Order: sequence, then C-alpha cells, then structure tokens
Amino acid sequence: MMHHTMGVDGSYPFLLAVWLLPLLGAILLWAFGPQLGRLGGPLGCASVGLAFLFTVLSWGAGTQHGDGGALGAHQGLVSWLPGFDLGLLLDPLALLWALIITGVGFLIHVYSIGYMDGDRAFARFFAYLNFFVFAMLTLVLSDNFVGLLIGWGLVGLASYFLIGFWFEKPSAVAAARKAFVLNVVGDVGIMFAIFVMFAATGSTGFGDVFAHAGSFGTAALLTVCIALFVGAAAKSAQIPLHTWLPDAMEGPTPVSALIHAATMVTAGVYLIARCAPLWSQSADAQLLVGTIGGLTALVGAILGVAQWDIKRILAYSTMSQIGYMIMGVGIGAYEGGVAHFFTHAFFKAQLFLGSGLIIHALANEQDVRKMGGLRKRLPFAFVAMGTGVLAICGIPGFSGFFSKDQVIYGALEHGHPWLYAVGIVTAGITAYYMCRMLFIAFLGEYRGGVDPSDLGMRHPELAGTTAHDGHEEHAHAPAWYMNVPVGILIVPTVLIGWLMFGGETSPWAHFFAGQFPVAHLGAPGISELATTLMVLVVVLIGIGLAYWRYATASALSDAVPRLREESIRMPAVLTNLFYFDAAIDLLFVRPAQLLGTVFGRFLDPHVIDGGVRDVAAGARWLGALTRSFQTGLVRAYALFVVFGALLFLAYYAFAGSLR
Amino acid sequence: MLQVAITNYIALSATIFFVGVAGVLLRRNPLIMLMSIELMWNAANLLFLAFARMWANNAGHIFAFLVITVAAAEAAIGLAIVVIVFRDAKNVDVDEVAGLRG
Amino acid sequence: MIGFLFLAVVLIASAVWVVTAKKPVYSVVGLLAHFAALAAMYVSLSAEFLGVVQIIVYSGAILVLFVFVIALLSSGVDPFSVGPNRLPKAAVPAALLVLGSLALTAYGVFKAPTVGPRVGGAAIAAQAGDANAFGSVADFGKALFTVHLLPFEITALVLMVAVIGVILLAGEKPPLSGSSEQAAKARREMREAIVRAGDE
Repeated sequence: MMHHTMGVDGSYPFLLAVWLLPLLGAILLWAFGPQLGRLGGPLGCASVGLAFLFTVLSWGAGTQHGDGGALGAHQGLVSWLPGFDLGLLLDPLALLWALIITGVGFLIHVYSIGYMDGDRAFARFFAYLNFFVFAMLTLVLSDNFVGLLIGWGLVGLASYFLIGFWFEKPSAVAAARKAFVLNVVGDVGIMFAIFVMFAATGSTGFGDVFAHAGSFGTAALLTVCIALFVGAAAKSAQIPLHTWLPDAMEGPTPVSALIHAATMVTAGVYLIARCAPLWSQSADAQLLVGTIGGLTALVGAILGVAQWDIKRILAYSTMSQIGYMIMGVGIGAYEGGVAHFFTHAFFKAQLFLGSGLIIHALANEQDVRKMGGLRKRLPFAFVAMGTGVLAICGIPGFSGFFSKDQVIYGALEHGHPWLYAVGIVTAGITAYYMCRMLFIAFLGEYRGGVDPSDLGMRHPELAGTTAHDGHEEHAHAPAWYMNVPVGILIVPTVLIGWLMFGGETSPWAHFFAGQFPVAHLGAPGISELATTLMVLVVVLIGIGLAYWRYATASALSDAVPRLREESIRMPAVLTNLFYFDAAIDLLFVRPAQLLGTVFGRFLDPHVIDGGVRDVAAGARWLGALTRSFQTGLVRAYALFVVFGALLFLAYYAFAGSLR
Repeated sequence: MLQVAITNYIALSATIFFVGVAGVLLRRNPLIMLMSIELMWNAANLLFLAFARMWANNAGHIFAFLVITVAAAEAAIGLAIVVIVFRDAKNVDVDEVAGLRG
Repeated sequence: MIGFLFLAVVLIASAVWVVTAKKPVYSVVGLLAHFAALAAMYVSLSAEFLGVVQIIVYSGAILVLFVFVIALLSSGVDPFSVGPNRLPKAAVPAALLVLGSLALTAYGVFKAPTVGPRVGGAAIAAQAGDANAFGSVADFGKALFTVHLLPFEITALVLMVAVIGVILLAGEKPPLSGSSEQAAKARREMREAIVRAGDE
C-alpha cells in the first residue's frame, strides 16, 4: 500500500526540539523537584519558552507547500509495523495549535510562578504543567491516529494530575477522577474509530486514511465519525459528556486557564478539523456534530446564568464557546471554528488569569456574591476582565467578534438555519451572563464583610476552593509575575481578530490555504452584514438586560437583598445543572457499583474462588477414590486380577477369535 | 483309550480352574490360597495334555512339564514367604497383612 | 467315557474339598487325592511320562513341602485362628465373577469348532507297546532336548533363581536382635502398628 504523508518529508530538528523540550523539563522537574525548590518555576518556563521560540522558527517549514499537494513539514520518527509508522507533522493546523500551546502556555507558566508561590509542591506543579504541554504537543504534532491517541490519553492523565493537584481536598480528588473517567469514555471512542479505520484502509496514518476516505462506505464512515466524535465530546466537554468540566475548576486557576480553556478542551476541535476529509464526506455526521455543538453552546450559556462561583461561570462559558467551535468545524466551517478557537484561547486565558488575580488577592474567595466594588480595589484586574468580556461578547472590533460571526454565518452557509438561530440566541445569552459576572463582581460596594446567609449562600464553606494554607503570612513573589502575562494577553484579546478581517483575502485565509477541503456552498438568504447586525442587536440586548438587573444605581444599592432573592429563587433545574450529573449517576455509576458489589460479594468468593476450591476438592475426591482401591488386602487385589481376566475372556468370547 | 469329546475336557478344566479361583478369593489362610493356586496350575496342565492328545502333538507335554517345574519353584518361594511373614503372627490370615494399604 | 466321568467327579470333588476344608491339613489330603486322580487322567490321555512326573513332583515334593510348612506354622499357640474378615463384601462379587467366568467358558466351549479328531485317535492307539510311542519317555525326551531345548534351559534358570531366592529369604536376619520372644513381640507390635496405620 502506498504510503501517503501529508507534509514534505525531511529532517526538522526544531520540530523535534519543540516536541521534546517540555518532556525534558517535566522529567527534570519530577526528578529534582525538591532540590530545585523555587528554581522549578523558571526552569519550567524556560523549557516551554524555548519550545515556543522553536515553534516560531518552524513557521516556514510549517507553511511550506510541497509537490503533490503536500502541506507543511513531516518528520518521520519510528517505522515499526506496516501501517503504524509514527511521525510528526507540522502543517498550518498543527502549527496554530502548537503556537497557542507553547505561547499561551509560556505566559501561564510565568503567571504560575506568582500564583503558586509558597505552595509546598511548587516544582511538582511545573513538572505537571510541562508534562501537559508535552502531551498536548504529542496530540497535535502526530501524523497518525495512534500518536494522536497516545497524546490524547497523556493529556487526560495530565489533567487528572493537575485537577487533583491539591489532593488533600476530597472534592479535588473526586473531580479529578470524574474528569479522567469521562475522558476514558472518549478514549474508547477513538480507539474504536482507529479499529474501523485500520480495517478499512490498513493504516493509521493521516495521509493514508484521508487518501482512502472515499473507499470507506457510508456506514463505516459514519461509524468512524461518530466514534471520533465521542472522543471529541468527552475531551471538549460537549453534551452529554460535559459534567467533568465545571468540577475541574477544583484545580489551581493557571490549570483552568491553560488546560480547561485554551488547549486541552480544544483537542476535540482539533480532531474534527484534522479529520475534515472524513467529515466532509458524511453529511449525517456533520449534522450530528453540529447539532450537539449548538446544543452545548446553548445549554452552557443557560447554565452560566445560574452560577455564582466565578470560575464556574467561566467554565460554563468555556463549554458554550467550545460548543460554537465544535458546531463550526462539525458542519464544515473549518476556518471559522478554528478561528474561534484561536481568539477564544486568548480571551479565555485572559479571563481565567484575571479571575486568578482576584482570587489570589481576596485570599481564595471565588463566590461573586462576596465580591463587588473590585473596580476600585483591583483596577488592573477590572481592565483585564473587562477586555475579556468585551471580546467574548463579540463587540465589534474585539477578537471574539470576527471569529464568532464566522461560525454563525458559516452555519447558515452550510445549510443549517436552526443552528444559525441557536448561535445568535446563544450570543445574546453569553453577553448577558458574562456582563452579569462583570457587574456583580466589579461594581457597587465590596461585600466581603457581609454575612453569607444574607447573600443567600447556603454553603459558604464550599466557596473558595484553593488549598493554600498560611499563604498570606510569608513573603510573596513580586506581583509582576502575575500581572505581566495578563497585561501581555490584553493585546491579542483585543486585536488578534483583525487577522481574520477581509474574508478570502485575510491573512487568516492565506495561512490556511490548502488545509481544508473546500465545500460548495449555496448562497444563503441572509447576507453576512445582516447577520452581523442581528448578532450585535442580540448582544446589546443581553448587555442591556444585565445592566438593568445588576448595574443600575438602584440595583447596586440594593445589591445584598437582590442577590439573596436571586440565590433563593434560582430554579432547581438550573441549580441541578439540568440533572445531567444525576442521570449519569443513575445510569452508569450506580449500576457499576452494583456490578462491583455483585462480583465482590458473590461471584468472587463463590464462583471464582469456589471454582478453584471445587477443582481442588475434585482432585482430592479423585485421590480418595483411587486410594480406596489400595486396601492392602491380598484378596481384594486378587479380585481385581480376576475381574481383569474376565474382561479379557469376554473380549475373546464376543469380539475375538471365538466369535 | 478314552473316546471323549474335547469339550468335556475343556469344561472339566475350567471347572477345576474356577474352583481354584474361588479358593483364592474366598479363603483367608495363605496356605489354602497357595493350594488353590496349585489347583489352577493343574487345571491348565490337564487342558494342555488333552489338546496334545487331540492333535497328537508333543508340544503340549513339553509345556505341561514346564508348567510343573515353574509351579514347583513358585510353590517353594511362596511357602518361604508365607513362613517368614506368618512366623510370629497372631493369626495366619492374609487379611492381617495389609501393610501395602494406601 | 465312564472312566472319564469317574475321574472327573473325583477331581472336582477333591478340588472343592481343598477349597472348603476347615483345616489346611484336610486340604492337603484333598490335594493329594486330586493329584492322584490327575495322574490317572494323564495316563488316560497317553501322557504316561507326565503322569509319573506329576506324582513324583507334585504329590511327592510340593505336597510334602506344604505339609512341612503347615507343621512349622502350627508351632504357635493358637494355630490357624483367623482374624475378622476384612473383606466381607468379597463373597458376592467373587461368586459372580466365578460364575460369570464359568458361563463365558461354557459359551466359548459351545462356540468352539467341533472339527478335529476325538480325543484318543486310532493312530496313537496303534502305537501301544512301542518304546517311542506318543507320550513315552523316549518320545518326550527327544522333543525336550532337541526341539524345545531353549525353554528347558530357561526353566533350569528359573529353578536356580528360585533356589537362590529361597536361600536369601530364609537367611533373612530378624530386624531386632535379642531373645526370640522379645524379637517376636517387637515384630508383632510393628506389624500391628502398620495395620493400625492402614486403618486410619
């Protein structure tokens, strides 16, 4: 079978360096953590920073166009079983992801030096972060599904380590476990897809599989797409496998920023974008993925309205925005979906890091009901969060505006009017709850001294989930470790969207030339300008609503009773998160526990152990039976001899010569 | 000479033989067991000689002769063993020597 | 025919007597009668030499050996008492087996081909009085030392082995030294211990 690679074959040492430097950092930090102490931070930053540098230096290799439609750079690694060759591929898609992973990752590493200062497992944190960067790079740089799956699994593992970083907290451990188990469901989906792909094409390399995409047959192709999407849904927190993401906020804020906003949860988007040749040939799969993406966007936004924990608000907003991305790449608007990933990485990281500034300053307070008036107390945080909110709302000119409109209009272009409508409505809801967060946290009077029950908090002890103890007493790392990355991120949050300005002639389109299959689109009824205006109107309605409820002068003065009212009156269906957790518990967790009990109490001791015991008893019985013949009595033996002789006699009488 | 059908000799020989078998199985005195074994030998001998006469072939005589010899040797050794085992026994009873019991 | 029947009756009766007699001495007497009848039967089958050999070897040597052993073993206080029957359930299967074997033999007998000369052919009868007649010493010796020389030599070997064996057995030292009474008692106790161990 001809071996198709997607990139220009060659030797790319920078590419290898990009991939392996974070691993080196992780190993060093793991091995020498206690000895390194505070040096662990700069070491972790250095490895990722160098990786970012080399990624930038690989720009040329990553965007080169070779003959035969080859795009990007291909570095073969190991050629072992036929069909299982492993290698690295750096094409524009992978390059984009690699830049975000290493670039935003580097900024978050620097931030973490300030945030995690004083934590007794300082070096271990950076080891895990470096390991995560390595795993994510494995995922995006692989040129075959097996490497991708390896990276997929390792990323899940890194997420488990990092969510449960403060493992003394039982809630963190439970959240880590929940995330991991749901991720494994996704892993199985991808494995299954690999089986089908291998059976159909005899190879797991991207080039081979995509070259033979036409020969799958509709059923097999749909199966592969659905199986891959199960993986993507688990990793990217799409319905119904999304329940782990809000709980994952138990991890430190830099973790939430890096993993659960910018990179890991976008792995599903990457997967679908990477497998564009497969998806483009199955309209059913596209409809399914698009629908679930749209649904997730909507549900995430609705649930975001009901949250009080600032990180959970951001978690649901992440879920919702990724819903947009999945919807985009699902229905075929690859450039739009990927564009939204790009802008989202910046403004969501910005939002999380900004919230980290708040949490850090308020000594681990995360409930917005106990915030308020932070505009005067933490002006820098206000500016940072403000720009992030403006970007996510899609205010014209800010980054989110360009990418979100591409996705929404792309839904219409590819013939999904319902998803188009969902996208617009969700944009409005997004504006509402993000501004709600902004207004409640930053405007009005500081409510830090107010009694929690006056604010309607039923379990104030559950607010504030970090585990720094005695953090406030000792000397701090300089604040610039945390402020500089946030400040740096303001720039792309605001401006990066302009790269997409210009549609076909934008730098963005130019960057991705040749990457995605081109779809033939009919002319939709509504123009792009009309779409933009509709979205803008809806967004402004959302902002206005939030302003009216939370930011008017009367609202601010009555903040405490109003917040209490809202807390108490929150519908149960929202506080129980549409009962997804309850459903999963009933459908899967309880039966699994029951199965475990059955095995542990009955099957294991009676059937399995019992089987072994019965075998032993049988052997013993047989031995006893045989021993019973050894009476030692001569006469008994003589009896047996005669009996045997009789048998001989009988044989000769009936079957032998006397017959 | 006797003009008797060979089947009579076969029946007679079989009868003596199985009387000997019954003796071996049912008696507990070792000497009587050995005597029963002698009966079995002799029954076989009788049959050998009967067939030798029928086919007018010497080989039967030779074989019977060898049987007598071996029977004698076996009786000697068997009796020696009986003597040794039961020299100081309480009962001369083969059921008492169940030393090979497993 | 009458002679055959008479001898047959004697043979069977003496065999049954041997097997069922209460005391071994009585069995020996029965065995003697059995051997005598057998010798007569052999002679009637024109096997005169073997008839004589039967009397000499069996009645003269082996029976005497039996008598000696009986005498030896009855030197104890309680000769030939028997212990409890440890295989009481042997009677029925033994009987069944014997009867079954008899039945099978009968079946075989009646299925056997009836061709062949009746016992006592005229040719043999015609040889009566000839020194080399069938069954005579000369005839037998000629066969033994020419045609069947190898079995003869092997039989000699067997006899030698038997002699050596008996010498070794008889010369076996008792396991425990000391007076014969103590040794006998110790041997008895050992034997009982073995039996007891076997019962568990």
